[in-house]
Amino acid sequence: MTTFPAVAVTGIGIVTSIGTGRESFWNAILAGHCGFGPVKSFDTRLYDVHIGAEVSDFCPQDYFEDADPATMGRTSQLAIAASRLALRDGSLNLAGIDRNHVGVCVGTTSGEPQYIEKFDDHYMEGRLDRVGREFVNGYPSHLVPFHIAKELELGGEAMMIPTACAAGNYAIAHACDLLRSGKADAMLAGGADSFSRITYTGFARLGAIAPTLCQPFDRNRKGMIPGEGAAMLLLEPTHKAAARGANIYCEIAGYGLSCDAHHMTAAHPEGEGAARAMRLALQQSGIRPEDVNYISAHGTGTPTNDRLETIAVKKAFGEHAYKVPISSVKSMLGHTMGAASAIEAAVCALAITDGRIPPTMHWQDRDSECDLDYVPNTAREHKVRVAMNNAYAFGGNNSSLILTAYSRP
Amino acid sequence: MKQRVFITGVGLISFLGDSPALFHKKLCDGNKGMGRVTEFEEQGFASQPGGKVEAFLPEVFLKSKALRPLDRSGRLLASAAKLTLENSNWTSQDLAVRDVGLVLGTMFGSMHTISQFDRQALGGGPSCASPLDFANTVINSAAGQTAIWHKLRGINSTIATGATSGLMAIGYATDLIQSGRQTAVLAGGTDEFCFEAFCGLARAGLLCGPDSTAGCSVPFEKRRTGIALAEASALLMLESAESAQTRGAVILGEVLGHSNAYNPRWKQAAHEADAVIRSMRGALEDARLSPQEVDCISAAANGSIPGDRNEALAIKAVFNGHGEKVLITAIKSMIGETLGAGGALQAIDLLETMRDHAVPGIAHLKNVEPEFASLNFCRKPEFIDTRIGLINAVGFDGHACSLLLSGPPAWGNLV
Amino acid sequence: MDVEVIRTKIKQTISRVTGIDVESIADAASYETDLGLDSLSILEISVEVESQFKFHASDEEMSSLRTVEDAVNLVRKRLGAEVA
Repeated sequence: MTTFPAVAVTGIGIVTSIGTGRESFWNAILAGHCGFGPVKSFDTRLYDVHIGAEVSDFCPQDYFEDADPATMGRTSQLAIAASRLALRDGSLNLAGIDRNHVGVCVGTTSGEPQYIEKFDDHYMEGRLDRVGREFVNGYPSHLVPFHIAKELELGGEAMMIPTACAAGNYAIAHACDLLRSGKADAMLAGGADSFSRITYTGFARLGAIAPTLCQPFDRNRKGMIPGEGAAMLLLEPTHKAAARGANIYCEIAGYGLSCDAHHMTAAHPEGEGAARAMRLALQQSGIRPEDVNYISAHGTGTPTNDRLETIAVKKAFGEHAYKVPISSVKSMLGHTMGAASAIEAAVCALAITDGRIPPTMHWQDRDSECDLDYVPNTAREHKVRVAMNNAYAFGGNNSSLILTAYSRP
Repeated sequence: MKQRVFITGVGLISFLGDSPALFHKKLCDGNKGMGRVTEFEEQGFASQPGGKVEAFLPEVFLKSKALRPLDRSGRLLASAAKLTLENSNWTSQDLAVRDVGLVLGTMFGSMHTISQFDRQALGGGPSCASPLDFANTVINSAAGQTAIWHKLRGINSTIATGATSGLMAIGYATDLIQSGRQTAVLAGGTDEFCFEAFCGLARAGLLCGPDSTAGCSVPFEKRRTGIALAEASALLMLESAESAQTRGAVILGEVLGHSNAYNPRWKQAAHEADAVIRSMRGALEDARLSPQEVDCISAAANGSIPGDRNEALAIKAVFNGHGEKVLITAIKSMIGETLGAGGALQAIDLLETMRDHAVPGIAHLKNVEPEFASLNFCRKPEFIDTRIGLINAVGFDGHACSLLLSGPPAWGNLV
Repeated sequence: MDVEVIRTKIKQTISRVTGIDVESIADAASYETDLGLDSLSILEISVEVESQFKFHASDEEMSSLRTVEDAVNLVRKRLGAEVA
């Protein structure tokens, strides 16, 4: 395997149901705040569940300097907000850089679902005449990174990787590859998803939504809670970041991607694909399993995911699985779909910098099949030198990202 | 040190069939195999060229009656994958011991299934929505289904950049092999023809409309009126030298370089050709080639009024002098705009050109704008010595991608 | 509705979802063991049966459907069907 120049995380921008902006978000996560509440985006009267984790009081105008937020969907608005926050956080002066070498890579599950939902409303009402040019100019998912690039005036690669609930990791991985190969000087990478009635209906149809709480790894866990949000990381080659005196949160040492090729919505019953992604990530990063001292879990809170994820972690880490703390912030944010693994990558970066790791909230009863240290209910001081961020998606897409502490030479 | 990336197999489902050699022959014969879209007249859309590949029978390729879990996109992609695996002599025993990746480029993904699922729930309540359809409402569902069908356990990714998605997917897969992360990857794209895409593009004023006018969807034609939305699925098998050699694979060609660019201000005069110019220059730089070394261009041109013009102006600018010589073809004159499948179809045809030296003519092209009349458009099939070809993909929204291919290298010269 | 009619319609639904020929579906067939179905297909069959016979099954009823006969019995119960 070729070795690549290191990639640094120099800025974090984040919009979630419990806080917007790095500081506000991190304080809320460590305090165990939760973003769950009755769904407001659409009427859930006909559903058996009514809970979601929506971002309330989001004012897109606060983050726009050029475009009118009303000309795009909510996912693009969230993504632009997170991107602008990341740029500000990283103090990157775009005036001093060739903008054609700064790109955007975003992951998503649904893209801009409100446009197709409106299309369907018109269809059902027999009013297709109401569908205008805004549909094709607003719906396709690639418009999210294009809107970001336009708003921030970036001319480098702009790409959407819609690999569902692992998409954030995929986007960050691709951005790292571009930086390492010299095709970009800086990248904004992450994920975004806005609340979708289609996604909600689907998970409700599968019986996968918990009635009141998301309790990853708990014996009585009843499912996931759909949410929304966005996180974007500013990434640069480490030597360039250091040269401009940037604040470096951590480095991204490598990643592993694999495909179960087993089932569309259920993970491989022996956690094979997930374990393989973890091993590939460790190999690519040149890191031994016993060096990992924090894992951000996919931890959706469904009976199956949490059990199989635990099996996979044990496969990849052996006995060390019992020594590395592993927590799921979905216990507080719900499942933010394509944004999730990007938010969780930000969590890893902040954990490394801050020396504290977030809890898995609402953990009450030990499940004999989920017997690792899930950092129950209270954040913990913990020196993190190597963090692993795991995410799994429909289609059997598995991903693991490795983030490591940076020491100035 | 970058690994070289070879193409060892291809597969396609299109209006012009599923045989790469016949596909190319029909293009060279000027066979406009596209059907017509007549089924939406009730909704107020006049009959026009384009539509589904009506002859597509997934059972023929997938040899199973248990196809319900796959939607049309999944069936199209899984079928193209089957053909590509066969074409590259990749057996199920090979797949049992090697992890082959899959990178799908798509503009709309599973939009039709998403819409159907939503309408089921709207019509009869959420309890009427189909669980199997929900599994296909993620944009990457076709890639997931295809991986399951063919046991593809390597890196599985989906790329969405609009109409350029397919060529971008091939570029992304090329990078995976160049960097050593994967040794074999299927790459290309699919977009199923559906009412939602047709209606959306029509309302955005992008479709050619009824073809009573002479220009209609003819690329570069002065009186062109827009695109003909058509359906296809196409993939390439990309491999590292070692993988190809170990398997004793037949090499069809090599990916020499690729690049892409986005300019959101493309509607402004000063910026209109910028993304296509940067994309082509970037690809040439990536491949360490000069414009003079390119023998032919497979243009993205599809009848789009601004798109075709921007591409022509960009070719003039980048090829500067040589632009008048390098032969330009545009196969969308015959197969229409197939969105995610476009780039791979262009690659498949170009590889056939490398084999038989025949470049298809741009069917029905009569007059072009004076601004780029000096370019060397291939109007009737021509025979030329083609060693290196450039493929362009141009989006509806300021994005462009370019990729350079060569024919098979000299035997024994893979490393 | 005659129980044979119910059984045939349910088998046709299973065939539509899975591609398995109606003739190959035994009356006592178990979804998982005999027909080799996964959870998604089983759920899909239950949803289509609900839609076809126009009733809404509770989550508990849905998760208790393990065999062709379970589905037949649930439909009969909901339709108040008479035994043929």
